[in-house]
Amino acid sequence: MNVEAGLEWRLYKYMLVTRLFEEACIRWEHEGKMSAQVFPSRGQEAIAVGACLAMEKGDTVIPSFRTRGAMVAMGISLVEQLREIMHSPLAAGGSRDAPHHSSWPERGVMPGSTMIGGHLAMAGGLALAMQLEGQGQVSLAFFGDGTLGSGDLYETMHIAGTWSLPLVLVCENNGWEMATPWPKVRKQRALAPYAAPFGFATREVDGNDPWDIYHAARWARATAVGGQPVFLDCITFRSGTYSSHFGETRPGIEKEIAEWEERDPLKRMAGWLIDHGLASAQDFERAREDEEQRIQKAFRQVIAEIKGI
Amino acid sequence: MSTLTYRDAVGKALQDSMRDESKLILIGQNLTAHSLKTLAEEFGERRIRDTSVSESAMVGMAVGAAMKGWKVVVMIAYADIASVCHKAIVQSAAKLHYLTGGRLQCPVVIRLPIARFRGHGPMGNEVAASWFYNVPDLNIAMPGSADEAYWNFREALRRQTPTLFFEDRSIHDRAGEIAMKNSAGKARITRSGNRLTIIAAGRAAALAEDAADQLAKEGSRDALEVVSLGFIKPLDRETIFGAARKTGRVLIIQDEPPWSGYAPYIRCLLDELPPSSFAIAPRIISGADEYLPYWDERPFLPSVEGVVAAVKELLK
Repeated sequence: MNVEAGLEWRLYKYMLVTRLFEEACIRWEHEGKMSAQVFPSRGQEAIAVGACLAMEKGDTVIPSFRTRGAMVAMGISLVEQLREIMHSPLAAGGSRDAPHHSSWPERGVMPGSTMIGGHLAMAGGLALAMQLEGQGQVSLAFFGDGTLGSGDLYETMHIAGTWSLPLVLVCENNGWEMATPWPKVRKQRALAPYAAPFGFATREVDGNDPWDIYHAARWARATAVGGQPVFLDCITFRSGTYSSHFGETRPGIEKEIAEWEERDPLKRMAGWLIDHGLASAQDFERAREDEEQRIQKAFRQVIAEIKGI
Repeated sequence: MSTLTYRDAVGKALQDSMRDESKLILIGQNLTAHSLKTLAEEFGERRIRDTSVSESAMVGMAVGAAMKGWKVVVMIAYADIASVCHKAIVQSAAKLHYLTGGRLQCPVVIRLPIARFRGHGPMGNEVAASWFYNVPDLNIAMPGSADEAYWNFREALRRQTPTLFFEDRSIHDRAGEIAMKNSAGKARITRSGNRLTIIAAGRAAALAEDAADQLAKEGSRDALEVVSLGFIKPLDRETIFGAARKTGRVLIIQDEPPWSGYAPYIRCLLDELPPSSFAIAPRIISGADEYLPYWDERPFLPSVEGVVAAVKELLK
């Protein structure tokens, strides 16, 4: 997925698809049409989408919990994703793994881990294989800032830094560990200072700015291929709930949500497209209608597969 | 092939595997400067890789490399350290094949030497195999002879799911003939007899063989049939059942406490045979349900004397 004409629009569209698809999944779950727990990425979509669009053929990505956009941006269709979520007989992975860990290895989307941090070591192993093969590929993994507490993060950084592996770690630093604000459970908000001593190149990124993430990930990719692993600390905010199984767990968060809505990545990307004369309000409206229809169509298709129609 | 010690059989298995498989790497501590110096001279530090003590990430990275089609041997210093990387073994390695519907394979071997009788104390003298007995898809090898050490290792690297390779240092100097052919994880009849069958693995299998030899010296030639399991998971049911039926008297020896592991499992498995298959109910000798003190572990573990005494009792 290299830079090409239409990248601007794809950044917008994949974030839109991610948001609408997650909203639909939550709705279907609450209506009793599916049982999947959704970890909404609302407000954070730019990180997964921007980073994955910066990857190239042969690179691998390990999604985290709140990175549906990674699957979308890596080209996994909603039908394919819904097959895993709803246990269609055509599900490539047989609906065995939790839907946020669904994988399509032959297309670079690798299985993650429910053991927070465990997947970072696997990403390190992918990077080791890539280094041995010498084909100029990189391994990227997403994780939340709560993973700072996981020993596997340090062990992986320790080895990857020593071995100069082509590894890109992308932290979605939203400042909340479920219901707990970061100052209660760690000393400082910024995580890049933790990674640098292990030999990582680091960069703090505006996690709500798709362009900042995309460019940082392009730099990260080049740096990793050049022999230094990279840690991107993407500062963001979770505008949605922790998961569809919970209501809002952060009392008094309304003001902060309102403030961050102003920095919403979809709004910002739409503003950028308008400012550059590349899209109009009508285009966004039409895109929304089209994608909602596509989502409904995908749902109907997968239901039909399940019913054997 | 040739006669080798158990120790050298493992070394040869490593060397032959490295020669045969260009996409095989070894990860561990003190390899290139110490334990695998000769191998490192042959294959280089690209394929034999030193790390510091990061066992959880070492196993996790092996799984990641396997996702790209590599085979990896993770060299853990001794079996107790399996507790440090338990998560990576169970959640990352063992589940990979299942979670991906078989689209990804995990030919990873985790070498876990059992380090008893060397004064390591209770955090260095565990067997640790039974901790993993309820993990589906996880192969567990516990070789009891040089031949098993060689071929179980080679076999493990051919499997689609990971293998814990419990190599017992206390039998490192035992020598034996290495067969010409891989018996693909089948149990072996290492002593042939017709009065009582002992089923065991690792050091316990070696004890059983020594007990059989002692009884033969005492005049009870051909008394004991000894089954050395090699792989304690999955189990070679056919050989176990055949040997049990042959004598109708079964003693299972396990070098760990009795709560879980192959001994209680095989004891249950034998219930699948008709009761008339047995002259007496199958019995178990296991390690004590205690930790092992550093000054002397032997009083708490199965011994040749104990096995001989038990056999004599059961043959009365």
